[in-house]
Amino acid sequence: MRKAVGPIARRSEVIRQQRERGGWVAAVLPIHYPRALLRSFDLLPIEVWGPPGIDPDHGAAHVQAYVCSIVRNALSFILSGGLDVADVIMVPHTCDSLQGLGSLLLDLVRPRQPVVPFYLPRGERECDIQFLAEEFRAISRQLEEITGRSPSLLELIECVKRDEEADGLLGSLHHRRNELALNSYEFYRVLRAREYLPSEDFVELARSCLACAAEAPNVGVPLILSGIVPEPMSMLALIDELGARIVADDLACCGRRLYPNGVSEDPFVRMAERIVRSAPDPTRGSPLADRSEHLLRLAAGSEARAVVFHGVKFCEPELFDLPVLREELKRAGLPSVIIEVDLNDPLSHQVRTRLEALLEMIR
Amino acid sequence: MSHAVRGLGIDVGSTTAKMVAVGSNAEMIWHWLEPAEPRVEEQVARFLDKAAAALGPLSGIPSVATGYGRGLVPAMRRVTEITCHARGVYREFAVGVTLVDIGGQDSKVIRVGSRGETADFSMNDKCAAGTGRFLEVIAQRLAVPLERLGPIALGTSEEVAISSTCTVFAESEVISLIARGVAVGAILRGLHRALVKRVVAMIRTVGLVAPLVLSGGGACNPAICQLLAEETGMAVHLPRHPQLVGAHGAALIALEKDAD
Ligand code: SF4
Repeated sequence: MRKAVGPIARRSEVIRQQRERGGWVAAVLPIHYPRALLRSFDLLPIEVWGPPGIDPDHGAAHVQAYVCSIVRNALSFILSGGLDVADVIMVPHTCDSLQGLGSLLLDLVRPRQPVVPFYLPRGERECDIQFLAEEFRAISRQLEEITGRSPSLLELIECVKRDEEADGLLGSLHHRRNELALNSYEFYRVLRAREYLPSEDFVELARSCLACAAEAPNVGVPLILSGIVPEPMSMLALIDELGARIVADDLACCGRRLYPNGVSEDPFVRMAERIVRSAPDPTRGSPLADRSEHLLRLAAGSEARAVVFHGVKFCEPELFDLPVLREELKRAGLPSVIIEVDLNDPLSHQVRTRLEALLEMIR
Repeated sequence: MSHAVRGLGIDVGSTTAKMVAVGSNAEMIWHWLEPAEPRVEEQVARFLDKAAAALGPLSGIPSVATGYGRGLVPAMRRVTEITCHARGVYREFAVGVTLVDIGGQDSKVIRVGSRGETADFSMNDKCAAGTGRFLEVIAQRLAVPLERLGPIALGTSEEVAISSTCTVFAESEVISLIARGVAVGAILRGLHRALVKRVVAMIRTVGLVAPLVLSGGGACNPAICQLLAEETGMAVHLPRHPQLVGAHGAALIALEKDAD
């Protein structure tokens, strides 16, 4: 018998506990950010990937029709009070749409909370690490003003190391996913708990999952999932139902955030190293060659037979790369399919047909 | 005559429903096509009655359902329209092709490999642009019967550029063109061009390899055929039964499964 994952604390519950302890909450927009820095100020990062399935109308007046649903929903959520629970809103400059959202929040539709934007370098050079470390130092000064707290460097490096431990276990979950007693839906629920659980709680959750092996390896046509976020999550159940399984991912919210440990003893530099040296990501300006190499390496390591590019409609960083990336993979014998979703739409018949057709192609 | 039927293919699309019966040599021996009805099960039951009346009892004949409504068809197997179209077109052309299927509510481009396999595919995304629906909406607006759209578009050398392939935006563009007194033929030619350009963008995502084949209801429109040839610089070939390629492919898969 497969043993399903036990109850995972809900987001609202985690926020309530943080508040009861006297801690603060930071709402964080995608994708990369200095989690440990926030924790050192006792700000619990709660990531905001949309959220899906909300009324996007509040945001519609402020953004163009071709802005992705993650940004549109996030703005609507903020304007309708959904993020009132947060003390700070952090907006990384992930893409033009998020930069636009940052500008809106800073200048035009100011929320009651302070907004902390920051730039992400588009490169992997030493100077990119130094640039990002400087951004983090600036954020630290801003957070000192906002919270009135000033954590020591020692406290910060401890937070960084706790994150490294949690991310190491996140990596183990990814690499051992095929042995775990979790179906795709359950597996991604566990991974995505990293979006709001404190690192120490995530460590416990990951350990309990890793201790719970499946009786027989999971079977099904092995696929790689690439894109931003696996929404609607019912798509994962559909993949299982069609007799396939996700054996590796290149998702912005998951596989692209398997941050390696940093090496510097300077916590700011170390946090920057971890982000800059993570898996290739179009929002960090990774060259296409690195992306295709990475996907081919993932395929070779996981025996994946195809890639499902699961994008959010109007997501420019993803869409720009896709034609060339698909062509490269095709040349290497790895077929792929593109699925585009809007976070507010249920799973469509077309998504089902595309997945089925892909599986018919490779079976 | 029922001994001759070896496989049935049922393609329930969003605009039309089709059934094809094949014999042991994979030849099409019977077919039927009607506008799709909302009650798919009832319509398919009626199709089966018609087929039985023409061909004799059908019990035990393997069947494959495809198309948008395939989940509602009581067939032995369900296969996507992508695979069925690839199989159907390969049967007729016997080489790898680029197949463009322009249906009433969706369009697809399929790269069929040299062994008849699906090498790649692209589908339009939950949107009427690049589908028959695009022209249907405009035909209503211009009060032109659907089957006259193509001939009227080809009956003139004048053409206005329609900048939008979005049905909603194109419709308002058409309204303003009419208000400015632009000739209907020129508007229609521009609209066909817009649709074809959208389809060519889909072709680019899978890569164009000759021969180029056009199927679906769109293949019945001569303006789509001509402009597709112009935009791709390639001859456009039509299957014998452009609207039955998917159903034929489904019947062929049923036949293969029977032989397995
Ligand atoms: S989905 Fe794409 S466009 Fe939208 S916020 Fe994410 S990276 Fe930016």
